Amino acid sequence: MSLVRPSPPPDQRAPLILAEGVNKRFGAAHVLKDVTTRFFQGEVAVIIGASGSGKSTFLRTLNRLEKHDSGRIVVDGIELDDRVRNLDAIRREVGMVFQQFNLFPHLTALENVALAPRKVRGTPAVEARRAALELLARVGLQEHALKHPHQLSGGQQQRVAIARSLAMQPKVLLFDEPTSALDPEMIKEVLDVMKDLARAGMTMIVVTHEMAFAREVGDRILFFDQGRLLLEAPPDEFFDNQRNDRIRGFLGQIVR
Amino acid sequence: MTGLLALWPRAWSRERRSAATIAAAGLLLVVLMWSLGRILSLAPEPIGGAAQQFAEGTLVTLELTVVSGLLGVLFGLLAAVSRMSALPPLRWAAGFYIWSIRGTPLLVQIFFTFFALPELVPGLQLSDFNSAAAALAINVGAYNAEAIRSGIQAVAKGQTEAARSLGLSPLQTFVHVVAPQGIKIALPPLVNNVVALLKDTSLAYGIGVVELSNVGNRLQAATFLPVPILVTTAIIYLVLTSVLTQVSGAIEHRLDVEQRHEPH
Repeated sequence: MSLVRPSPPPDQRAPLILAEGVNKRFGAAHVLKDVTTRFFQGEVAVIIGASGSGKSTFLRTLNRLEKHDSGRIVVDGIELDDRVRNLDAIRREVGMVFQQFNLFPHLTALENVALAPRKVRGTPAVEARRAALELLARVGLQEHALKHPHQLSGGQQQRVAIARSLAMQPKVLLFDEPTSALDPEMIKEVLDVMKDLARAGMTMIVVTHEMAFAREVGDRILFFDQGRLLLEAPPDEFFDNQRNDRIRGFLGQIVR
Repeated sequence: MTGLLALWPRAWSRERRSAATIAAAGLLLVVLMWSLGRILSLAPEPIGGAAQQFAEGTLVTLELTVVSGLLGVLFGLLAAVSRMSALPPLRWAAGFYIWSIRGTPLLVQIFFTFFALPELVPGLQLSDFNSAAAALAINVGAYNAEAIRSGIQAVAKGQTEAARSLGLSPLQTFVHVVAPQGIKIALPPLVNNVVALLKDTSLAYGIGVVELSNVGNRLQAATFLPVPILVTTAIIYLVLTSVLTQVSGAIEHRLDVEQRHEPH
Protein backbone atom coordinates (compact mmCIF):
# COMPACT_ATOMS: atom_id res chain seq x y z
CA MET A 1 0.00 0.00 0.00
CA SER A 2 1.47 3.29 -1.00
CA LEU A 3 1.22 6.13 1.45
CA VAL A 4 -0.51 9.18 0.01
CA ARG A 5 1.09 12.47 1.01
CA PRO A 6 -1.25 15.05 2.49
CA SER A 7 -2.02 17.68 -0.14
CA PRO A 8 -0.41 21.11 0.30
CA PRO A 9 -2.40 23.75 2.22
CA PRO A 10 -5.12 25.28 0.06
CA ASP A 11 -3.96 28.86 0.39
CA GLN A 12 -1.34 31.08 1.87
CA ARG A 13 -3.44 33.03 4.41
CA ALA A 14 -2.42 32.78 8.05
CA PRO A 15 -4.14 29.69 9.43
CA LEU A 16 -6.49 29.93 12.41
CA ILE A 17 -5.05 26.68 13.73
CA LEU A 18 -1.69 25.22 12.87
CA ALA A 19 -0.65 21.69 13.84
CA GLU A 20 2.93 20.70 13.07
CA GLY A 21 4.42 17.26 13.63
CA VAL A 22 2.02 16.46 16.48
CA ASN A 23 2.71 13.22 18.38
CA LYS A 24 0.77 11.67 21.23
CA ARG A 25 1.21 8.41 23.12
CA PHE A 26 -1.00 6.71 25.68
CA GLY A 27 1.50 4.42 27.38
CA ALA A 28 2.76 2.07 24.68
CA ALA A 29 0.12 3.09 22.13
CA HIS A 30 1.30 5.72 19.64
CA VAL A 31 -2.06 7.33 18.88
CA LEU A 32 -0.96 10.41 16.90
CA LYS A 33 1.97 10.17 14.52
CA ASP A 34 3.46 13.37 13.09
CA VAL A 35 0.15 15.01 12.30
CA THR A 36 0.60 18.22 10.33
CA THR A 37 -2.25 20.35 9.00
CA ARG A 38 -3.84 23.81 9.07
CA PHE A 39 -7.35 25.08 9.54
CA PHE A 40 -8.55 28.38 8.09
CA GLN A 41 -11.14 30.97 9.07
CA GLY A 42 -14.61 30.11 7.73
CA GLU A 43 -13.65 26.57 6.77
CA VAL A 44 -15.62 23.40 7.59
CA ALA A 45 -13.13 20.56 7.98
CA VAL A 46 -14.49 17.05 8.46
CA ILE A 47 -12.30 14.39 10.08
CA ILE A 48 -13.17 10.77 9.38
CA GLY A 49 -11.55 7.42 10.01
CA ALA A 50 -12.12 4.13 11.79
CA SER A 51 -12.53 4.12 15.57
CA GLY A 52 -9.12 4.12 17.21
CA SER A 53 -7.57 5.99 14.29
CA GLY A 54 -6.73 8.99 16.50
CA LYS A 55 -9.27 11.43 15.06
CA SER A 56 -10.99 12.27 18.37
CA THR A 57 -7.66 12.47 20.19
CA PHE A 58 -6.37 14.91 17.57
CA LEU A 59 -9.49 17.07 17.98
CA ARG A 60 -9.02 17.06 21.75
CA THR A 61 -5.40 18.23 21.46
CA LEU A 62 -6.65 21.40 19.71
CA ASN A 63 -8.08 22.78 22.98
CA ARG A 64 -5.68 20.80 25.12
CA LEU A 65 -8.14 18.37 26.67
CA GLU A 66 -5.25 16.10 25.67
CA LYS A 67 -1.66 17.31 25.85
CA HIS A 68 0.46 16.50 22.83
CA ASP A 69 3.88 14.99 23.53
CA SER A 70 5.80 16.69 20.75
CA GLY A 71 5.23 19.01 17.83
CA ARG A 72 3.50 22.39 17.82
CA ILE A 73 -0.11 23.52 17.94
CA VAL A 74 -0.81 27.23 17.42
CA VAL A 75 -4.36 28.53 17.79
CA ASP A 76 -5.10 32.07 16.66
CA GLY A 77 -1.44 32.97 17.06
CA ILE A 78 -1.15 31.49 20.57
CA GLU A 79 1.21 28.59 21.16
CA LEU A 80 -0.41 25.68 23.03
CA ASP A 81 1.93 24.80 25.87
CA ASP A 82 2.00 24.53 29.63
CA ARG A 83 1.57 28.24 30.26
CA VAL A 84 -1.87 28.35 31.82
CA ARG A 85 -2.74 31.86 30.72
CA ASN A 86 -2.46 30.75 27.10
CA LEU A 87 -4.68 27.80 27.81
CA ASP A 88 -7.52 29.92 29.21
CA ALA A 89 -7.23 32.35 26.31
CA ILE A 90 -7.43 29.52 23.80
CA ARG A 91 -10.35 27.79 25.46
CA ARG A 92 -12.34 31.00 25.22
CA GLU A 93 -11.75 31.04 21.45
CA VAL A 94 -12.34 27.34 20.82
CA GLY A 95 -15.79 25.90 21.53
CA MET A 96 -16.38 22.18 21.85
CA VAL A 97 -19.41 19.95 21.38
CA PHE A 98 -19.16 16.45 22.87
CA GLN A 99 -20.54 13.08 21.86
CA GLN A 100 -22.28 12.72 25.26
CA PHE A 101 -23.47 16.39 25.28
CA ASN A 102 -22.04 16.92 28.81
CA LEU A 103 -24.74 19.42 29.75
CA PHE A 104 -24.70 20.45 33.41
CA PRO A 105 -27.60 18.41 34.84
CA HIS A 106 -28.24 20.67 37.85
CA LEU A 107 -28.84 23.73 35.66
CA THR A 108 -31.67 24.62 33.25
CA ALA A 109 -31.01 24.90 29.51
CA LEU A 110 -30.88 28.68 29.92
CA GLU A 111 -28.44 28.50 32.84
CA ASN A 112 -26.27 26.03 30.92
CA VAL A 113 -25.92 28.56 28.11
CA ALA A 114 -25.53 31.64 30.35
CA LEU A 115 -23.04 30.21 32.87
CA ALA A 116 -19.75 30.72 31.00
CA PRO A 117 -20.48 34.27 29.74
CA ARG A 118 -21.42 35.29 33.28
CA LYS A 119 -18.49 33.68 35.07
CA VAL A 120 -15.73 33.98 32.48
CA ARG A 121 -16.63 37.20 30.69
CA GLY A 122 -18.42 38.85 33.62
CA THR A 123 -21.54 39.55 31.53
CA PRO A 124 -24.34 40.91 33.77
CA ALA A 125 -27.04 38.30 34.53
CA VAL A 126 -29.84 40.05 32.64
CA GLU A 127 -27.70 40.51 29.54
CA ALA A 128 -26.42 36.90 29.69
CA ARG A 129 -29.99 35.60 29.98
CA ARG A 130 -31.14 37.64 27.00
CA ALA A 131 -28.22 36.42 24.88
CA ALA A 132 -28.82 32.83 26.02
CA LEU A 133 -32.50 33.01 25.02
CA GLU A 134 -31.48 34.31 21.61
CA LEU A 135 -29.08 31.40 21.15
CA LEU A 136 -31.69 28.88 22.27
CA ALA A 137 -34.07 30.41 19.72
CA ARG A 138 -31.39 29.99 17.08
CA VAL A 139 -31.30 26.23 17.75
CA GLY A 140 -35.12 26.15 17.94
CA LEU A 141 -35.44 25.57 21.68
CA GLN A 142 -36.62 28.89 23.16
CA GLU A 143 -39.73 27.29 24.66
CA HIS A 144 -37.55 24.71 26.47
CA ALA A 145 -35.29 27.32 28.11
CA LEU A 146 -36.40 26.60 31.67
CA LYS A 147 -36.22 22.81 31.43
CA HIS A 148 -33.43 20.74 32.93
CA PRO A 149 -31.39 18.47 30.63
CA HIS A 150 -33.13 15.29 31.81
CA GLN A 151 -36.43 16.71 30.52
CA LEU A 152 -35.03 17.05 26.99
CA SER A 153 -34.47 14.46 24.26
CA GLY A 154 -30.94 13.61 23.19
CA GLY A 155 -31.24 15.74 20.07
CA GLN A 156 -32.53 18.70 22.08
CA GLN A 157 -29.72 18.29 24.62
CA GLN A 158 -27.13 18.36 21.88
CA ARG A 159 -28.71 21.52 20.42
CA VAL A 160 -28.50 23.15 23.88
CA ALA A 161 -24.85 22.07 24.03
CA ILE A 162 -24.22 23.77 20.67
CA ALA A 163 -25.95 26.95 21.94
CA ARG A 164 -23.82 26.76 25.09
CA SER A 165 -20.59 26.64 23.13
CA LEU A 166 -21.75 29.49 20.87
CA ALA A 167 -22.41 31.68 23.92
CA MET A 168 -18.68 32.31 24.31
CA GLN A 169 -18.56 33.53 20.68
CA PRO A 170 -15.71 31.21 19.77
CA LYS A 171 -13.67 31.63 16.61
CA VAL A 172 -13.86 27.92 15.92
CA LEU A 173 -16.16 25.09 17.03
CA LEU A 174 -14.90 21.54 17.52
CA PHE A 175 -17.47 18.72 17.20
CA ASP A 176 -16.49 15.32 18.62
CA GLU A 177 -18.89 12.81 17.02
CA PRO A 178 -21.89 15.01 17.87
CA THR A 179 -24.52 12.60 16.55
CA SER A 180 -22.99 9.23 17.53
CA ALA A 181 -24.94 8.96 20.81
CA LEU A 182 -28.28 9.92 19.23
CA ASP A 183 -31.23 7.84 18.09
CA PRO A 184 -31.52 7.92 14.29
CA GLU A 185 -34.63 10.15 14.27
CA MET A 186 -32.76 12.86 16.22
CA ILE A 187 -29.63 13.00 14.11
CA LYS A 188 -31.18 15.22 11.46
CA GLU A 189 -32.21 18.03 13.85
CA VAL A 190 -28.61 18.29 15.11
CA LEU A 191 -27.09 18.13 11.62
CA ASP A 192 -29.53 20.83 10.47
CA VAL A 193 -28.31 23.17 13.21
CA MET A 194 -24.72 22.43 12.19
CA LYS A 195 -25.52 23.16 8.54
CA ASP A 196 -27.04 26.51 9.54
CA LEU A 197 -23.85 27.35 11.42
CA ALA A 198 -21.70 26.40 8.45
CA ARG A 199 -23.84 28.56 6.13
CA ALA A 200 -23.42 31.48 8.59
CA GLY A 201 -19.66 31.20 8.11
CA MET A 202 -18.71 29.47 11.37
CA THR A 203 -15.31 27.82 11.35
CA MET A 204 -15.91 24.17 12.23
CA ILE A 205 -13.83 21.04 12.71
CA VAL A 206 -16.10 18.00 12.82
CA VAL A 207 -15.24 14.42 13.71
CA THR A 208 -18.13 12.32 12.40
CA HIS A 209 -19.30 9.15 10.70
CA GLU A 210 -22.03 11.06 8.81
CA MET A 211 -20.67 10.80 5.27
CA ALA A 212 -23.62 12.62 3.64
CA PHE A 213 -22.98 15.58 5.95
CA ALA A 214 -19.25 15.48 5.21
CA ARG A 215 -19.88 15.53 1.48
CA GLU A 216 -22.55 18.24 1.58
CA VAL A 217 -21.10 20.65 4.15
CA GLY A 218 -17.38 19.89 4.30
CA ASP A 219 -14.87 22.07 2.49
CA ARG A 220 -12.17 19.54 3.19
CA ILE A 221 -12.05 15.93 4.34
CA LEU A 222 -9.22 14.66 6.56
CA PHE A 223 -8.79 10.90 6.77
CA PHE A 224 -7.05 9.44 9.82
CA ASP A 225 -5.65 5.93 9.83
CA GLN A 226 -3.70 4.33 12.69
CA GLY A 227 -2.68 7.68 14.15
CA ARG A 228 -1.64 9.24 10.85
CA LEU A 229 -3.32 11.92 8.80
CA LEU A 230 -3.34 9.75 5.69
CA LEU A 231 -5.01 12.14 3.27
CA GLU A 232 -6.78 15.47 3.06
CA ALA A 233 -8.83 16.44 0.03
CA PRO A 234 -11.97 18.34 -1.05
CA PRO A 235 -15.10 16.17 -0.69
CA ASP A 236 -15.80 15.51 -4.37
CA GLU A 237 -12.25 14.37 -4.95
CA PHE A 238 -12.26 12.36 -1.73
CA PHE A 239 -15.53 10.52 -2.22
CA ASP A 240 -15.86 10.23 -6.01
CA ASN A 241 -12.33 9.89 -7.17
CA GLN A 242 -10.65 7.94 -4.40
CA ARG A 243 -7.59 5.98 -5.51
CA ASN A 244 -6.28 4.95 -2.11
CA ASP A 245 -7.18 1.31 -1.48
CA ARG A 246 -7.34 1.68 2.27
CA ILE A 247 -9.74 4.64 2.10
CA ARG A 248 -11.82 2.92 -0.60
CA GLY A 249 -12.12 -0.05 1.73
CA PHE A 250 -13.22 2.19 4.61
CA LEU A 251 -15.76 4.00 2.44
CA GLY A 252 -17.05 0.72 1.09
CA GLN A 253 -17.81 -0.43 4.60
CA ILE A 254 -19.38 2.74 5.88
CA VAL A 255 -21.30 4.19 2.90
CA ARG A 256 -24.59 2.43 2.39
CA MET B 1 -41.42 6.39 58.19
CA THR B 2 -42.31 8.10 54.88
CA GLY B 3 -42.48 11.54 56.40
CA LEU B 4 -43.57 15.09 56.16
CA LEU B 5 -42.80 15.48 52.47
CA ALA B 6 -45.89 13.49 51.56
CA LEU B 7 -48.13 15.87 53.49
CA TRP B 8 -48.03 18.72 51.01
CA PRO B 9 -50.30 19.09 47.94
CA ARG B 10 -48.93 17.37 44.86
CA ALA B 11 -49.34 20.58 42.88
CA TRP B 12 -46.64 22.26 44.95
CA SER B 13 -43.21 22.61 43.37
CA ARG B 14 -40.27 20.53 44.58
CA GLU B 15 -38.63 23.57 46.21
CA ARG B 16 -41.84 24.53 48.00
CA ARG B 17 -42.45 21.04 49.38
CA SER B 18 -38.85 20.89 50.55
CA ALA B 19 -38.95 24.31 52.21
CA ALA B 20 -42.26 23.49 53.89
CA THR B 21 -40.83 20.26 55.25
CA ILE B 22 -37.74 21.94 56.67
CA ALA B 23 -39.85 24.69 58.24
CA ALA B 24 -42.28 22.15 59.71
CA ALA B 25 -39.49 19.98 61.10
CA GLY B 26 -37.74 23.02 62.60
CA LEU B 27 -40.99 24.18 64.16
CA LEU B 28 -41.62 20.68 65.48
CA LEU B 29 -38.19 20.68 67.09
CA VAL B 30 -38.68 24.07 68.76
CA VAL B 31 -42.12 23.08 70.05
CA LEU B 32 -40.67 19.80 71.24
CA MET B 33 -37.84 21.44 73.15
CA TRP B 34 -40.20 23.99 74.64
CA SER B 35 -42.80 21.45 75.74
CA LEU B 36 -40.64 18.42 76.55
CA GLY B 37 -40.39 19.31 80.25
CA ARG B 38 -44.17 19.80 80.53
CA ILE B 39 -45.01 16.60 78.66
CA LEU B 40 -42.63 14.51 80.75
CA SER B 41 -43.86 16.07 84.00
CA LEU B 42 -47.22 14.43 83.31
CA ALA B 43 -45.57 11.02 83.33
CA PRO B 44 -45.61 8.87 86.49
CA GLU B 45 -42.56 8.58 88.72
CA PRO B 46 -39.63 8.29 88.32
CA ILE B 47 -39.96 10.25 85.03
CA GLY B 48 -42.36 12.99 86.09
CA GLY B 49 -40.17 14.28 88.89
CA ALA B 50 -37.06 14.35 86.68
CA ALA B 51 -38.77 16.00 83.70
CA GLN B 52 -36.76 19.20 83.93
CA GLN B 53 -33.44 17.28 84.01
CA PHE B 54 -34.44 15.30 80.94
CA ALA B 55 -35.40 18.50 79.10
CA GLU B 56 -32.11 20.18 79.95
CA GLY B 57 -30.07 17.11 78.99
CA THR B 58 -31.88 16.89 75.65
CA LEU B 59 -31.08 20.53 74.94
CA VAL B 60 -27.38 19.90 75.62
CA THR B 61 -27.45 16.87 73.28
CA LEU B 62 -29.01 18.98 70.56
CA GLU B 63 -26.53 21.82 71.05
CA LEU B 64 -23.60 19.39 70.83
CA THR B 65 -25.05 17.93 67.62
CA VAL B 66 -25.66 21.29 65.93
CA VAL B 67 -22.28 22.82 66.84
CA SER B 68 -20.17 19.78 65.98
CA GLY B 69 -22.36 18.94 62.96
CA LEU B 70 -21.82 22.34 61.32
CA LEU B 71 -18.09 22.38 62.15
CA GLY B 72 -17.84 18.77 60.96
CA VAL B 73 -19.18 19.63 57.49
CA LEU B 74 -16.64 22.45 57.24
CA PHE B 75 -13.78 20.15 58.37
CA GLY B 76 -14.98 17.45 55.98
CA LEU B 77 -15.07 19.81 53.01
CA LEU B 78 -11.59 21.17 53.78
CA ALA B 79 -10.14 17.68 54.25
CA ALA B 80 -11.83 16.35 51.08
CA VAL B 81 -10.50 19.22 48.97
CA SER B 82 -7.02 18.85 50.51
CA ARG B 83 -7.08 15.12 49.83
CA MET B 84 -7.67 15.81 46.12
CA SER B 85 -5.19 18.70 46.01
CA ALA B 86 -2.28 18.85 43.60
CA LEU B 87 0.02 19.76 46.52
CA PRO B 88 1.48 16.63 48.18
CA PRO B 89 1.83 18.11 51.75
CA LEU B 90 -1.87 18.98 51.77
CA ARG B 91 -2.76 15.49 50.56
CA TRP B 92 -0.57 13.90 53.24
CA ALA B 93 -1.97 16.08 56.03
CA ALA B 94 -5.55 15.27 55.06
CA GLY B 95 -4.70 11.59 54.67
CA PHE B 96 -3.12 11.50 58.14
CA TYR B 97 -6.13 13.26 59.67
CA ILE B 98 -8.64 10.85 58.14
CA TRP B 99 -6.52 7.78 58.90
CA SER B 100 -5.79 8.63 62.54
CA ILE B 101 -9.34 9.72 63.41
CA ARG B 102 -11.10 6.81 61.73
CA GLY B 103 -8.64 4.36 63.26
CA THR B 104 -9.12 5.37 66.90
CA PRO B 105 -12.17 5.24 69.19
CA LEU B 106 -14.23 8.39 69.59
CA LEU B 107 -14.18 8.02 73.39
CA VAL B 108 -10.37 8.12 73.35
CA GLN B 109 -10.51 11.25 71.17
CA ILE B 110 -12.90 12.93 73.63
CA PHE B 111 -10.66 11.99 76.59
CA PHE B 112 -7.62 13.17 74.66
CA THR B 113 -9.15 16.59 73.96
CA PHE B 114 -10.22 17.06 77.57
CA PHE B 115 -7.32 15.54 79.53
CA ALA B 116 -4.25 15.34 77.27
CA LEU B 117 -4.52 18.52 75.20
CA PRO B 118 -4.08 20.90 78.19
CA GLU B 119 -0.85 19.09 79.06
CA LEU B 120 0.47 19.20 75.51
CA VAL B 121 -0.59 22.81 74.91
CA PRO B 122 -0.48 24.64 78.25
CA GLY B 123 -3.34 27.08 78.59
CA LEU B 124 -5.63 25.20 76.22
CA GLN B 125 -8.08 23.93 78.80
CA LEU B 126 -11.49 23.78 77.14
CA SER B 127 -14.67 23.33 79.14
CA ASP B 128 -16.19 19.86 79.14
CA PHE B 129 -18.84 20.93 76.62
CA ASN B 130 -16.31 22.59 74.29
CA SER B 131 -13.94 19.63 74.50
CA ALA B 132 -16.73 17.25 73.55
CA ALA B 133 -17.92 19.52 70.71
CA ALA B 134 -14.39 19.86 69.32
CA ALA B 135 -13.67 16.12 69.48
CA LEU B 136 -17.03 15.26 67.88
CA ALA B 137 -16.54 17.83 65.11
CA ILE B 138 -13.05 16.52 64.32
CA ASN B 139 -14.36 12.96 64.37
CA VAL B 140 -17.37 13.47 62.11
CA GLY B 141 -15.25 15.70 59.85
CA ALA B 142 -13.01 12.74 58.98
CA TYR B 143 -16.00 10.62 57.98
CA ASN B 144 -17.57 13.55 56.11
CA ALA B 145 -14.32 14.03 54.18
CA GLU B 146 -14.53 10.54 52.70
CA ALA B 147 -18.24 10.98 51.84
CA ILE B 148 -17.60 14.31 50.12
CA ARG B 149 -14.52 13.06 48.31
CA SER B 150 -16.28 10.02 46.88
CA GLY B 151 -19.23 12.22 45.85
CA ILE B 152 -17.00 14.66 44.02
CA GLN B 153 -15.05 11.88 42.34
CA ALA B 154 -18.31 10.32 41.15
CA VAL B 155 -19.10 13.38 39.00
CA ALA B 156 -18.52 12.44 35.35
CA LYS B 157 -15.22 13.57 33.86
CA GLY B 158 -17.11 15.04 30.89
CA GLN B 159 -18.55 17.69 33.21
CA THR B 160 -15.09 19.03 33.99
CA GLU B 161 -14.09 18.84 30.33
CA ALA B 162 -17.18 20.75 29.25
CA ALA B 163 -16.66 23.45 31.88
CA ARG B 164 -12.95 23.83 31.13
CA SER B 165 -13.55 23.93 27.38
CA LEU B 166 -15.96 26.84 27.97
CA GLY B 167 -13.05 28.73 29.58
CA LEU B 168 -14.05 28.29 33.24
CA SER B 169 -11.04 28.23 35.59
CA PRO B 170 -10.39 25.15 37.75
CA LEU B 171 -11.88 26.96 40.77
CA GLN B 172 -14.98 28.10 38.83
CA THR B 173 -15.39 24.57 37.48
CA PHE B 174 -15.31 23.19 41.01
CA VAL B 175 -17.67 25.77 42.51
CA HIS B 176 -20.28 25.96 39.77
CA VAL B 177 -20.20 22.53 38.14
CA VAL B 178 -18.51 19.76 40.14
CA ALA B 179 -19.31 20.63 43.78
CA PRO B 180 -23.10 21.04 43.35
CA GLN B 181 -23.33 17.61 41.72
CA GLY B 182 -20.82 15.95 44.05
CA ILE B 183 -22.47 17.18 47.25
CA LYS B 184 -25.80 15.88 46.01
CA ILE B 185 -24.23 12.43 45.63
CA ALA B 186 -22.55 12.77 49.03
CA LEU B 187 -25.72 13.82 50.82
CA PRO B 188 -27.10 10.42 51.90
CA PRO B 189 -23.81 9.35 53.58
CA LEU B 190 -23.46 12.85 55.12
CA VAL B 191 -26.91 12.49 56.65
CA ASN B 192 -25.97 9.09 58.02
CA ASN B 193 -22.95 10.73 59.61
CA VAL B 194 -25.05 13.42 61.29
CA VAL B 195 -27.55 10.88 62.63
CA ALA B 196 -24.62 8.84 63.96
CA LEU B 197 -23.19 12.04 65.43
CA LEU B 198 -26.39 12.74 67.34
CA LYS B 199 -26.13 9.33 68.94
CA ASP B 200 -22.37 9.66 69.50
CA THR B 201 -22.88 12.82 71.57
CA SER B 202 -23.79 10.37 74.35
CA LEU B 203 -20.05 9.67 74.73
CA ALA B 204 -19.60 13.20 76.05
CA TYR B 205 -20.94 11.72 79.25
CA GLY B 206 -17.45 10.25 79.70
CA ILE B 207 -16.00 13.67 80.59
CA GLY B 208 -18.98 14.75 82.64
CA VAL B 209 -21.09 16.72 80.16
CA VAL B 210 -24.65 16.57 81.44
CA GLU B 211 -26.35 15.56 78.23
CA LEU B 212 -29.29 13.21 77.76
CA SER B 213 -27.48 9.89 78.40
CA ASN B 214 -25.77 11.28 81.46
CA VAL B 215 -29.11 12.45 82.89
CA GLY B 216 -30.56 8.99 82.34
CA ASN B 217 -27.57 7.27 83.87
CA ARG B 218 -27.55 9.45 86.97
CA LEU B 219 -31.27 8.95 87.51
CA GLN B 220 -31.17 5.20 87.20
CA ALA B 221 -28.21 5.05 89.60
CA ALA B 222 -30.16 7.10 92.11
CA THR B 223 -33.52 5.35 91.74
CA PHE B 224 -32.54 1.80 90.75
CA LEU B 225 -35.30 1.92 88.09
CA PRO B 226 -33.37 1.34 84.87
CA VAL B 227 -36.30 0.24 82.69
CA PRO B 228 -38.55 3.35 82.63
CA ILE B 229 -35.58 5.71 82.66
CA LEU B 230 -33.58 4.11 79.87
CA VAL B 231 -36.71 3.59 77.76
CA THR B 232 -37.52 7.29 78.12
CA THR B 233 -33.95 8.19 77.17
CA ALA B 234 -34.09 5.96 74.09
CA ILE B 235 -37.46 7.38 72.99
CA ILE B 236 -36.15 10.95 73.15
CA TYR B 237 -33.16 9.94 70.97
CA LEU B 238 -35.52 8.25 68.51
CA VAL B 239 -37.70 11.36 68.22
CA LEU B 240 -34.63 13.52 67.61
CA THR B 241 -33.12 11.24 64.94
CA SER B 242 -36.53 10.97 63.24
CA VAL B 243 -36.89 14.75 62.97
CA LEU B 244 -33.32 14.99 61.69
CA THR B 245 -34.06 12.41 59.01
CA GLN B 246 -37.04 14.50 57.90
CA VAL B 247 -34.87 17.58 57.42
CA SER B 248 -32.24 15.67 55.47
CA GLY B 249 -34.90 14.00 53.35
CA ALA B 250 -36.22 17.44 52.46
CA ILE B 251 -32.76 18.71 51.49
CA GLU B 252 -32.22 15.64 49.33
CA HIS B 253 -35.61 16.17 47.70
CA ARG B 254 -34.73 19.78 46.98
CA LEU B 255 -31.48 18.79 45.23
CA ASP B 256 -33.12 15.94 43.32
CA VAL B 257 -33.52 17.95 40.12
CA GLU B 258 -34.08 14.82 38.08
CA GLN B 259 -36.92 13.76 40.41
CA ARG B 260 -35.90 10.16 40.54
CA HIS B 261 -37.50 9.77 43.95
CA GLU B 262 -41.02 11.17 43.78
CA PRO B 263 -42.67 11.34 47.19
CA HIS B 264 -45.67 9.07 47.47
